[in-house]
Amino acid sequence: MPPVNKDVNPKQRQYEAMVRALSADLYRFAYWLSRSETVAQDLVQETFLRAWKNLDALRDAESARPWLFTILRREHARLFERKRFDTVELDETVAEDTAFASPERSGSDAQVRDAMLRLPDKYREPLAMQVIGGMSCDEIAAATDQQPGAVMTQLFRARQRLKDLLGGRAAAEGGRT
Amino acid sequence: MNCLDFRRRLTAEPRSRDPGLLAHRDSCTAGCAAFWQRAQRFEDDFEAALAIPVPDGLADRILLAQATGERRRQVGMRRVSLAMAASLLIAFFGAGMLWRQMDARSLPALAVAHMPYEIDTLALTQPMTDAQVEAGFTGRAMHLKGPSPADVTYVHDCMVGTYPAVHAVTRMNDEPVVALYLPGKMSDRSEDFHRDGWDGRQIALSGGTLVVMAQGASRKTMDAVARGWRSAIEGGDGTTVGQI
Repeated sequence: MPPVNKDVNPKQRQYEAMVRALSADLYRFAYWLSRSETVAQDLVQETFLRAWKNLDALRDAESARPWLFTILRREHARLFERKRFDTVELDETVAEDTAFASPERSGSDAQVRDAMLRLPDKYREPLAMQVIGGMSCDEIAAATDQQPGAVMTQLFRARQRLKDLLGGRAAAEGGRT
Repeated sequence: MNCLDFRRRLTAEPRSRDPGLLAHRDSCTAGCAAFWQRAQRFEDDFEAALAIPVPDGLADRILLAQATGERRRQVGMRRVSLAMAASLLIAFFGAGMLWRQMDARSLPALAVAHMPYEIDTLALTQPMTDAQVEAGFTGRAMHLKGPSPADVTYVHDCMVGTYPAVHAVTRMNDEPVVALYLPGKMSDRSEDFHRDGWDGRQIALSGGTLVVMAQGASRKTMDAVARGWRSAIEGGDGTTVGQI
């Protein structure tokens, strides 16, 4: 029996493979950027639609991940410009419960996630790009129009701040420098 | 790389496989290897904590949105293409109709269309006198300025389309050649034509237009007839008539 997608064009196949492989990480990145599940889903949808329109600009499959993360970051910035969200104090930010529904790890994970949500945007964004996107300092620098050294400093401070927020746990693990 | 650099670098990039970093880890005796281990453990936990659950069917929804959008775009493009094709067809059809209408009103078309009504005149062989020829033109309130052509067998005023005309037939070398003169119908150029079995020429004269045509007559005969009528209508020797 011939494969079902025998008539699907290569562009469509490439796109589908990209969605299947990267949508989860993109969603997670979107979540940590926006701190909202619904906004994160919208952002991922928009990112992939934009990616489909510009798929010809993608030179090789290995660049897909940083390329998509960059698109999503821009989409998020655009959304922010459009909607002009009400600003809230970081301490008042409460993550949506369903995002943390992982019973076996709920204790420590909840603390880490809470600490992550408390990080300022300028630290949380490169940290999420590095940890979820697997992007190097150079790639993050290119995506955020910064110098690699500046990104390195942000990442260092992000982890320092994270460990400060986690307090005893990080200290117990010797995470403090 | 000293221990401080190592730890700073590791804090910024815990997963780095930089050879300098790894070399310091393996050679340092001040606890950097243990620091590296703790950093990796922390990073494992951190990565796991950030890996929040993904909504069910997210990828399918993304693909569906893309497929729906693409289908809508294709339908839209197909509609635009159809509309463009229809517009082009209408434009071609309109242009064709316009051309047909304009062509049907052209002098050669009107002259050829006039002939079935007077086809019998081509069979006349009896030459008319100069006075009879001149009389044929008085019906259009005009006089010949030159001598009448020889061997004229028919002259009568009639209508060609909506234009008043003088219809004449000259039999030269046993070949009937029709000459239609339309006084007052000015044209800006002379041109040859061939339609519905008639060879002809439309000639711009100073006071109107002369159409000379025949079925199967030689060019030489037609040239001679055209020259003769031009000379008769305008005066002079009519030598400016071109070749067919």
